Amino acid sequence: MQLKIDLHNHSCLSPCGSDLLLPPVLAYEAYEKGVDIIALTDHNCGRNLSAFSEACEIVGITGVYGIEVNTEEEVHLLALFETPEEGEDFSSWIESLLPKWHNIPQKLGHQLVCDVRGNITEEIDLFLYGAAAISFDNLVEIILKRGGLAIPAHIDRLSNSVLANLGFLPPLAYSAVEVVNLPPTTESNSYPVIRSSDTHFLEDVASRTTLIEATSNDFSGLKEALQKGHITL
Amino acid sequence: MVTIEQVQQKLNLKVLTMGEGSTPISSAYTSDLLSDVMANGEEGGALITIQGHKNSVAVASLIGLNTIILCNGRLPADDMVEAAEEESIAILVSQENQFTVSYKLAALLGLCN
Repeated sequence: MQLKIDLHNHSCLSPCGSDLLLPPVLAYEAYEKGVDIIALTDHNCGRNLSAFSEACEIVGITGVYGIEVNTEEEVHLLALFETPEEGEDFSSWIESLLPKWHNIPQKLGHQLVCDVRGNITEEIDLFLYGAAAISFDNLVEIILKRGGLAIPAHIDRLSNSVLANLGFLPPLAYSAVEVVNLPPTTESNSYPVIRSSDTHFLEDVASRTTLIEATSNDFSGLKEALQKGHITL
Repeated sequence: MVTIEQVQQKLNLKVLTMGEGSTPISSAYTSDLLSDVMANGEEGGALITIQGHKNSVAVASLIGLNTIILCNGRLPADDMVEAAEEESIAILVSQENQFTVSYKLAALLGLCN
């Protein structure tokens, strides 16, 4: 079956994400726009994954649960898991590696945790955009060992990308690499290439998606399609 | 008190855009990690960095920095200068490295006793 995937999206938990982008809103908007598999990937924090998971179930869309880690080199790396529990477990570890800086919501944006109904249940004080004290190479390995997908984000961007910050793509077992531009302006070294919305505002949902040919509409189907390169940009 | 224009002249910096040249620079922060700048930079200050892209301008605008000094002769992408013009943030280029620019600016700011 052909599936439309979008594996990089923020919610109101990311300081730079719109406060209106509640996890259930993301799930519903993605469904409305024909997305089959949608990931929530806030910066360094998975505290909205549980509400997102409930929302995906209600809406009837396949959820993928992860975060966008800011590594110690300030490279953005997507870490994606099958269940919200795996995503939360991984992200609580990443949170413990963040510098203990306080967020300044008036300047940097709110970091809101909410429930499936969209009620705000908590505002996170720890600034979630800091660089976690773990290297890019080590983190790729750890994500894969945990059964997740490790995808360097927007590798063709001038900031926070593996190519901009390290200068090269270390030869690791990435599940895929994410680009913004088509045709890809950078060398992807034969890794599977995907595009995603990197949603920060409601209007971004499903603005960049990827088609895969999968045997099932779930995480294992996604994983297999990426491995086999059954991808259409 | 030292203004953006005075810093530009005394440190012999190339001007890509001048922002509000008569505005004082109150402090400076030296870093190439933008998340670190977001958390620790001070309003009214200058950023000393090699990050020559428009995200640096976005961070400067967010926390109220009025000047970005790019080191080692780095020349930014055009869209960085355009963004800085829109935000009235000065972009000045030094041929020297971050350490050298930092201590020279510290002296101008009267921080070296």
